[in-house]
Amino acid sequence: MKFVIKSISKNSGRLGQLRIGKESNELQTPLLMQTTKGGSIPYLSGDVFDSVCKGQQQQQLLQLTLSTMDQMAESLVQWNRSLSEYVGLPGHATVLLLRDPCETTPAGGNDRDVVPLFTRRGKESLTATRYLELVSSFAPDVYQGLCDADTNPDSTKKRVQKSVDRTERFMEQCYERRVENSTLLAPIVGGYNTFARTQSIKHARQQPAGSYGGYILEGFHSNGLAATELKATQLLPIVEHCVQQLEEEQPRLMPGAYTPLLMLELIRQGIDIFDTSYAYCAAVNYKALSFSYKLDEIRPDDEHTPLLDMTAEEYKEQFKPLLSGCTCLACEKHTRAYHHHLYKTHELLGPILLMIHNLHHLMGFFDVIRASIGTDQLPALLEHLRMQNTSTEINYRIEPNNKIVTKAAMGKGFIAPAV
Amino acid sequence: IPPLTYKVVAECSVSKARAGLMMLRHSEVRTPVFMPVGTQGTLKGVLPDQLIELDCQILLGNTYHLGLRPGIETLQRAGGLHNFMGWPRAILTDSGGFQMVSLLQLAEIDERGVNFRSPFDNSECMLTPEHSMQIQNAIGADIMMQLDDVVKTTTTGPRVEEAMERTIRWVDRCLKAHARDDDQSLFPIVQGGLEIPLRERCVSALMERQVRGFAVGGLSGGESKHDFWRMVHVCTDHLPRDKPRYLMGVGFAADLVVCVALGVDMFDCVFPTRTARFGCALVDSGQLNLKHQKYKHDMEPIDAACGCGTCRRYSRSYLHHIATNESVSCSLLSVHNVAYQLRLMGSMREAIQHDKFPQFVRDFMERHYGSEPIPNWIREALKAVKIELALDSTKGEGAGESSKQLVN
Ligand SMILES: [Zn+2]
Ligand SMILES: [Zn+2]
Repeated sequence: MKFVIKSISKNSGRLGQLRIGKESNELQTPLLMQTTKGGSIPYLSGDVFDSVCKGQQQQQLLQLTLSTMDQMAESLVQWNRSLSEYVGLPGHATVLLLRDPCETTPAGGNDRDVVPLFTRRGKESLTATRYLELVSSFAPDVYQGLCDADTNPDSTKKRVQKSVDRTERFMEQCYERRVENSTLLAPIVGGYNTFARTQSIKHARQQPAGSYGGYILEGFHSNGLAATELKATQLLPIVEHCVQQLEEEQPRLMPGAYTPLLMLELIRQGIDIFDTSYAYCAAVNYKALSFSYKLDEIRPDDEHTPLLDMTAEEYKEQFKPLLSGCTCLACEKHTRAYHHHLYKTHELLGPILLMIHNLHHLMGFFDVIRASIGTDQLPALLEHLRMQNTSTEINYRIEPNNKIVTKAAMGKGFIAPAV
Repeated sequence: IPPLTYKVVAECSVSKARAGLMMLRHSEVRTPVFMPVGTQGTLKGVLPDQLIELDCQILLGNTYHLGLRPGIETLQRAGGLHNFMGWPRAILTDSGGFQMVSLLQLAEIDERGVNFRSPFDNSECMLTPEHSMQIQNAIGADIMMQLDDVVKTTTTGPRVEEAMERTIRWVDRCLKAHARDDDQSLFPIVQGGLEIPLRERCVSALMERQVRGFAVGGLSGGESKHDFWRMVHVCTDHLPRDKPRYLMGVGFAADLVVCVALGVDMFDCVFPTRTARFGCALVDSGQLNLKHQKYKHDMEPIDAACGCGTCRRYSRSYLHHIATNESVSCSLLSVHNVAYQLRLMGSMREAIQHDKFPQFVRDFMERHYGSEPIPNWIREALKAVKIELALDSTKGEGAGESSKQLVN
């Protein structure tokens, strides 16, 4: 993996180019990794995903997670082509992470010598040896170093310190036994404790040059919706503290469903790579992303909302697209009323269409982010996201959907009274 | 132009199989055709664009479900189901009666219609032939079904005859209540249980009505295969040559091949998409249960000869791991299974056009049953239309005389 910074400006983020593997194209940063589950883009077949990516940079970076794919390790040993081909998405680059950013990672299970891997079939305890063996079977382009990232804003000082100490021990082994032909990402942990973060960074920075090809900043949240609930005032100071000490020339990843506003703030601080788990978390809770990311955009009054909740009765007979002017397949061919119907009937097509729209929206957002950095307009974009042309700050949090469809919410046209 | 025209484009010189072209308001439909079932205005996990790519020309929708959700007022305001679900091609709807009787415990039938308790407030309600027409007119499908008097296929005695007679009375009420005869075509349904004389009487009565096509109902519900094919055979013997014939609820590959030989043009079944949800993929030799351990390291596609998006990209091994675990597996297997069904129909059509259908049937049965014996009922059914299957002395005989099928 090769990372080149193209431009950098204080408080306005940085533009870069990432080249993964020999034949790959250049990926532009700030970059959106494609979150996957079991190797697939959630809900989307490879063909459908390709159609979503039309007009985008050709190659994508797939964020694969061991917690949703570990059972494939044995088969992958026998597979003699690339990992991305195995998951039906040939031509894309792959990053292998431990945890699924889409779902809450349970706490606990960490020990001196093991990191817990929470899979569909239960918990597996990974030693560094076992972990590196798994990474070799997967042969991803990039993989993360083994770490204890089980910290969040509520973690005790003791827990945070343990996560740093254990991560150091795991990383000793990771540095020692590098996986061939894959780039290692150095994990930076330490919760919200500046001292602990510094210790974690120091450990990475004292490695000989070329030991790793980037940083992965973890331990800020427990994944899933938790990431959408982080407060900027909480997160930004600690990230700023980290970024100041990181090696400039290395790309910085921050996995998790950070809100669009928070992602922008983080980009301004110098974070380069995020993922699409926010789009997934919204889709799975029947929300369509609808925030405006174009400075000059004038939206109808009812559209200054960050998310549309497709479970709302008001959409039952709205025969217009999720977002006027959106060119995604879901908006070009389907109406809000149909989305609402798919929610009511719990049809699989519901989250499929929302995922298509949400990915399209988030990818469009990142195009605009890159353009804004180039023209030095990131602060204006940030302000636009913060207020969306209203007078109060927008809340991008995703409300979980726990609604149960009642019989009363069904159509009654079918029922004729007894004669 | 009438909303449905049908012409036979080729006939098998041996069997009753025929290839036809049906022109509907929203699409042309090349028969024999398999119609995937999109119960609630969507085919499980498959986008309309994907169906078009598979060259699917007609979908089935279920009136009972659509009447509940989104409801006919919403469908009316949307301008019909085509608009509502974003499907530009043809749709066929059932009458709603069958689903009611099979899904609602308290449904009872009398001369007025199907009585049932409302799933909302438990009040007593009724679906009449007129009401079924009203809903189907709101849905706006290209082809709609009459409300028929449904009895279990295994019922015997006077109730079967009563149901058959009532179905004929109800088709007249449906035809009278049908308000969009310029856009939509109403098919009557041949009933008569498992009795040849009743089937014959029903066909000849229905043929006196002004209709553009016929459905054969009351089969594929657990009757013996011996009875099943004879009923299909007698119906197609008497139905007019120049109108399409739709056999309701049939969709297993071997049944499709036999029934095409018997002269049926249209089929529907939930089986291909339902079995996909359980991790099963259709192939000529039956189905692969991808959850089985033997596929764990199988790096081949489901079917190397299948050009569907699933077979082009994914190995059995990968599908083994995600089947029933990741919801995308349901879409992937549905795409393949629908592609399989459509391709099977396409190959039969082609074989008929080249007058090579009997050979196609023999080859298919060979591939489908492999080392297993070909069931006697299939031999008999095909023999009745002059297609002889080679007797294989190495194989046993007489298997699979009665297999319960999934019905809509
Ligand atoms: Zn859209
Ligand atoms: Zn296929």
